[in-house]
Amino acid sequence: MPMPPHDPHAEQALLGRLKSGDEAAFDTLYRRHKDAVYRFALLYCGAGAAADVTQDSFMHLITHPGQYDPARGTVAAWLCGIARNLARRHLGLREVATDPADLDDTLPHEAHIDTETPLDRVLRNESADEVRRAIAALAPHYRDVLVLCELSELSYAEAAQVCGIEIGTVRSRLSRARAQLAQTLAPRPRAKEAM
Amino acid sequence: MNTPESLEPLDQRLAELRAALQSVKAPAALDDALAARFRRQHAMRRPALWWMPPLALAAAVALVTWMVRGPMPRPVLPEALPTAAADAGPFLALKPLERIALEPGTTVVATEFPRALLADWGLPVSPERAGEPVRAEMLYSADGEALAVRLLN
Repeated sequence: MPMPPHDPHAEQALLGRLKSGDEAAFDTLYRRHKDAVYRFALLYCGAGAAADVTQDSFMHLITHPGQYDPARGTVAAWLCGIARNLARRHLGLREVATDPADLDDTLPHEAHIDTETPLDRVLRNESADEVRRAIAALAPHYRDVLVLCELSELSYAEAAQVCGIEIGTVRSRLSRARAQLAQTLAPRPRAKEAM
Repeated sequence: MNTPESLEPLDQRLAELRAALQSVKAPAALDDALAARFRRQHAMRRPALWWMPPLALAAAVALVTWMVRGPMPRPVLPEALPTAAADAGPFLALKPLERIALEPGTTVVATEFPRALLADWGLPVSPERAGEPVRAEMLYSADGEALAVRLLN
């Protein structure tokens, strides 16, 4: 699920036209990024809120296009950051500490696991669905970097920009997120075998 | 402890999830809603024309007032002098010109008097017409002294 490839100059030109009310420019940017933003929101906060988060993210693009700073990253990363903030607000999450050592890694955040979602219906692949559920169970600070780097395929620098953390922190969180995910997805011995 | 070997299946499973997600699209319902929101946003940012209705109302009131009351009255010009005065000759000084020139407030008064009075100012008078009245303009000083006279007929 990579973020769409982009030409930074072309995207900035589109943003400039969008600011002046060019609907075609907005339409181009929207169609280019909407699916990636929706998938990010879907993985982050589930199908129940993904559409709202996506809509609100593009509302933000409409109402505050001047907030985009090309020096800080791509439009895709900026939109992801908006979606992340909105999703966190939707989930009622407060900003977590940047040091993973301060956080409780042992408790999965099961509250955000959906029981039945549109994504479930789309993903007939049971394995993929199991991975998605395991990701949803990760602590938010791990889920952030895993979804951004592994599934949205943002660079470490872009993920750092989105999360407002250092690149080194992105690396360490990603490493721990992957380890936790591997542990969750590891085959468990059956009860008979254990006895 | 997770070893690189134990993470290999994870990479594969993440790849499977990435591939599965490729078919997930944003709901089409968002398209129209956002396009409408974009149009609304930029309609709001157009220059405000709130001042147009009051201006139009004021212009209409002014036009109706002008039509009812008619054109603005022109300034009233002083009435033209009587034709006779226009035709009259120059004033004849009854006092020295230097004194007349120094008089601060003089007044011209149309009057009529017996022609015989002209003889007092050294003017010729025909005996046959001595009894006739003469129309004239008198230039008086501020204290009522006759300074000059101009005969009108």
